[in-house]
Amino acid sequence: MQSTKNQPSNLSPEDGWSAIHSTMDKSRSSMYLAGTATIMLLWGAIAAVGYLAMFAIETLASDFAEQNPWFPGPLWAGIAVIGFVGSSIIGNRAGQKISDGEAARSAGIRVFLFFLAVLFAAFVVPAAAGLWDDDTASAIPGVAIGIVALGYVLFGIMHRPALAIIGILFAAAYYIPHFLMDDAAIAVTAVATLIIVLAGAFWLRKSGVA
Amino acid sequence: MTQESITLDETIHQPTRLRIMTMLVSQPETDRLTYGFVQKSLGLTGGNLTTHLRKLEDADYLKLTKEFHNQKPRTWLQATPTGRKAFANYYTNLQKVLNWHPER
Repeated sequence: MQSTKNQPSNLSPEDGWSAIHSTMDKSRSSMYLAGTATIMLLWGAIAAVGYLAMFAIETLASDFAEQNPWFPGPLWAGIAVIGFVGSSIIGNRAGQKISDGEAARSAGIRVFLFFLAVLFAAFVVPAAAGLWDDDTASAIPGVAIGIVALGYVLFGIMHRPALAIIGILFAAAYYIPHFLMDDAAIAVTAVATLIIVLAGAFWLRKSGVA
Repeated sequence: MTQESITLDETIHQPTRLRIMTMLVSQPETDRLTYGFVQKSLGLTGGNLTTHLRKLEDADYLKLTKEFHNQKPRTWLQATPTGRKAFANYYTNLQKVLNWHPER
């Protein structure tokens, strides 16, 4: 017969087994989420600036916007590069605060490649769908935002459901005003995105995620 | 049925210490984790974590190293070879205990 002895705590073997595996999962996820709150704040600011720039161009330089309907493409591409470099620096610094080893480094590289693939898809999918054209260019932001939101949802499903919810709200902040409002839609989206991202980053910090 | 006694390591078989050791041994052998990361990940107070770290350090299961990074102090935690071996034994014994239970 087998038995346990010298058990100093009320931890049952089942609880011990469960604690080992949940801790492994949580530890791994925490590495993937290093710096998430700060990165989210950065992207919130970037998205708000991008939307407000679109709004400003469409209202203050409407002739330019009509003659160059593809202008959101280069605008968002430039913004995305700034955001990506910033995110990489923040993620790298956050990684150094948790570990000096290979596991954290490879977690950081995987997160970097995941979101690089998402951003790449956000530009390539509209191109493959034939949207990079004067007549259809205005649909590009909607497609790109849907892909970025999907990236957040997938990442959240894998590591922290709250991120999936933030991804859905991020998409809603664009689509709802876009379909319900006219000229003011982009400005409303900018403000709504900023609020969602600020609330999300605050929640992530408060819950000790990143 | 064979007569066999299984002992679960007292130092590891405690909820907080088990989670600390799990975090450390699930890293590659050369990897170290910061005190702050372990504290935040496990949702522990500084005093609570320090108490358990001391017990694990006394058993030679982990090594604490204090270093300065950008002029700020940083404490690193790393499982020792003894700690890794003890955890592996604990894990094996835990599996044996669980396999013995009739309901599993």
